[in-house]
Amino acid sequence: GGIMSAPTMEERKACWAARDEFWRCLDRHTEDAPRCEKLRRSFESLCPQQWVKHFDKRRDFLKYKEKLETEGFHPPETAGKS
Amino acid sequence: LSRRVAVVAAVGGAACGTWLYLRSRKERELRERRQRELRALALGQGDFQLVDHRGRPRRKADFRGQWVLLYFGFTHCPDVCPDELEKLSRAVELLDGDAALPKVQPLFVTVDPERDDVEAVARYVRDFHPRLLGLTGSPEQVREVSRAYRVYASAGPKDEDGDYIVDHTIIIYLLGPDGLFLDYYNRSKTAAKIAESVRRHMETYKPLLD
Repeated sequence: GGIMSAPTMEERKACWAARDEFWRCLDRHTEDAPRCEKLRRSFESLCPQQWVKHFDKRRDFLKYKEKLETEGFHPPETAGKS
Repeated sequence: LSRRVAVVAAVGGAACGTWLYLRSRKERELRERRQRELRALALGQGDFQLVDHRGRPRRKADFRGQWVLLYFGFTHCPDVCPDELEKLSRAVELLDGDAALPKVQPLFVTVDPERDDVEAVARYVRDFHPRLLGLTGSPEQVREVSRAYRVYASAGPKDEDGDYIVDHTIIIYLLGPDGLFLDYYNRSKTAAKIAESVRRHMETYKPLLD
């Protein structure tokens, strides 16, 4: 056991860079995730798991917001989506 | 003709001047009303007992007489805390540039005392402004200061590595030399806006409590 140290500034920047590269790939391939598999793996290896989850949620939220702004509001089709 | 032009210009000038005066008076009234409201909250009363990132005990009284910019966060924070501390550091740098103003004391208080011990906080703060002082303590001590400043903080579920995110209020607080909270700045405020606001507070400062 034992608590991991928090990432250093260098590690944070490496994580953010990997995340941004992965997101740019998703932008280029309109969210077609399998095309960006390698960058996804790099992102996951450079960021703590908790941060990967956090950034995934952030990405979902940003995309949803974008959708609202361009398409208007549609009630969600499936309830209970986490 | 030239006399008519002169008359129109004079009247126009007077109208403009009046409008500008009224607008600046309105802005001043809005600022004063905000000050009165913040004063009524009187946040941050009561002492706190924490430990700084060099292991020295620190109480609120230690910061009496200083202007303080205070941010609550945690070292395992994915992005918001480094961004806000970067911004806070930049605001302090801007204020440092004006030799006529007192030097602001930047403070970081952890909302994750379980993981952020003195060593962890020391490692964290050194990436930001050289005067940034990190504070930690026991969970009780941290809870007390969070309560005094009405800071919301809630640790999320732990994953299999025991890692977790702490959801918390994202605000930079300005404390006056009497230790009371004078203003706050959210994520949308730029470093330049924060520095401008702090400067204005310094110029118009009156002690909040007798």
